[in-house]
Amino acid sequence: MNEAVVAVGLTKIYGSGPAEVTALADVSLTISSGEVVALLGPSGSGKSTLIKALGLISPAERGEVLFQGRSVVKDGVALTDLAKLRRDHLGFVFQKANLVSFLTARENVEVACQLGGRPDGRKRARELLDYLQVGHREAAFPEQLSGGEQQRVAIARALANEPSLILADEPTAALDSVRSRTVMDLFRKVAHERGAAVLVVTHDHRALDVFDLLYEMEDGRLRLAKHRAASEVPTPTAQ
Amino acid sequence: MNLALHDVRRHVARFLGTAVGVGLLLTVVVAMQGIYAGMVDDATILTRTMHADFWVVQRETRGPFAEASRLDPSVEQRAAAVPGVRRARPYTYQLIQRERGGEVLRLALIGLGWPDDPGDSLPLVKGRPLAQPHGEIIVDASLALDVGASLVLAGERYTVVGLTKDALTSGGDSVAFLSVADSHLVAYDQPPEATILERERVIERLRHTDLGRSQPGLEDLVKDPRWRPPALSAPPLAAVLVEVEPQRAAKVREIIEQWGDVAIYSQVEEETLLLEGVVQRARMQIGLFTAILTLTAITIITMVMYNLTLEKTHDLAILKLIGAPSWRLAGLVLQQAWLLGAIGYAVCYVLGLLFFAHFPRRVVITETISIVAPMATMVVVTVASILGLNHVLRIDPAVALEG
Repeated sequence: MNEAVVAVGLTKIYGSGPAEVTALADVSLTISSGEVVALLGPSGSGKSTLIKALGLISPAERGEVLFQGRSVVKDGVALTDLAKLRRDHLGFVFQKANLVSFLTARENVEVACQLGGRPDGRKRARELLDYLQVGHREAAFPEQLSGGEQQRVAIARALANEPSLILADEPTAALDSVRSRTVMDLFRKVAHERGAAVLVVTHDHRALDVFDLLYEMEDGRLRLAKHRAASEVPTPTAQ
Repeated sequence: MNLALHDVRRHVARFLGTAVGVGLLLTVVVAMQGIYAGMVDDATILTRTMHADFWVVQRETRGPFAEASRLDPSVEQRAAAVPGVRRARPYTYQLIQRERGGEVLRLALIGLGWPDDPGDSLPLVKGRPLAQPHGEIIVDASLALDVGASLVLAGERYTVVGLTKDALTSGGDSVAFLSVADSHLVAYDQPPEATILERERVIERLRHTDLGRSQPGLEDLVKDPRWRPPALSAPPLAAVLVEVEPQRAAKVREIIEQWGDVAIYSQVEEETLLLEGVVQRARMQIGLFTAILTLTAITIITMVMYNLTLEKTHDLAILKLIGAPSWRLAGLVLQQAWLLGAIGYAVCYVLGLLFFAHFPRRVVITETISIVAPMATMVVVTVASILGLNHVLRIDPAVALEG
């Protein structure tokens, strides 16, 4: 499998002196295309900081991030246009309220397509919404959608430009167990069918069986907790 | 996809409400500028209406509008005799206040030199100039009198024969034009008791003079009830208006300036006297108020724009996170600002058309105002967006992760 993203020796420290907190301590990580990776850990362990660093939102002070073999951030310095890289190679899904409130479900996906320079934005937005089974809600605004529908639309938007990496920060925290399972299965589906790498920060232990890799974080340190063999991979239940 | 319009569509009622608020604010600013322009125009329209090259007034006065001017009537003939003078006309000016139909009627009466000046040069919008020396009057349309209506002044009935438009004094009072003789009748009108007392005072003074003692017949003349005090001498004029041959204007001025009893002002100087004297403080007050109001409007619109941007912070952060370039988000803010300005100005324009004509003071929307106001509005909303734009550029995409 291709390496979608590689992080090498990421270190980030908040505050100074007695108030100093090490959010990331020499974290190294490789996620390959088509892989679904879970990141577990208690609050304050550095999960969100790692997501921000890998998502090119808030780079680490030390260390390097490589996308498809190309170094894009080194020691906190951007080596390329990060906004463009986010637009072209990354997809984001968050816990809640992650859709643009003044755009409909379709427009939320369409705007991402448009930003990615796709001329067929509307058509693709409809295709993705249909793929995620929320096509019938395309004209609804986010506040008119249920939590599960919102997450499906967010996933559709994350897929808009065929990203090499999808980053999801506690995407099921606001969902019940059934919807939570459905969303996790969707991640697996898009990873395996579309070849995207997916990193999911989660506290939800009910659906850990969908992940290929489980990482745990504590005090800014990353530890591989489980690496499943290909034979263990379950069949996705989501359509 | 136009993000600005999509955002407006989602909150259309609130956006329109804000735009109407901005429009009301702009209306007040434009109204103040119009009132200022109206005050300046009112102050000078009386002088411009008379189409005189020179105003000859009493020596060492700034008359007739800035202060009282009393000229001997002979000045008219003397001025007419100066080489280069085409025409010299008498001019009287007085403010009166009467009651008509239970309401206060304030009028500036201007006397025209009949028969030379029946009012041909006046900006008549209806009716005709004066056709006889007595009993006819031309009034401004702001008095709401139509041609054929009548007005009783000093016990005499005057028929309205013509209407002018925007002939107002610097104080905003309507102007009426009648013959100099009629204006004197109104000016020297007094109740019978006052006439009797005046007559007795004159008789008393006569008895203490050599003339009175040597000419007892004079006393009988004064006792005659048909006698009116002004009849002893021709009433004074406020000014004499002089029109000259252009190439000889300087020489005419030089000659008249040498006369010991008069001062002479050109048309421009007369207007300057009005603007820098009569209405100067009011003008400054209105001008200052307009400036303060404009600054207030800019501040309020800035805060409106900033708040509109601020409440979209999370949405903008999401857009930034998914790769929207800053210029596109800045475009959203700017386009909304321009839309707000355009709708606001449209509201201001409509309100102006509907209500400015009913203001107590004349609101003059000059060509400058009508060109500058919409441009200034767009500049103001653009400048007002700077805070919002600054906010957009500083939004951290990580804000989107905060939920």
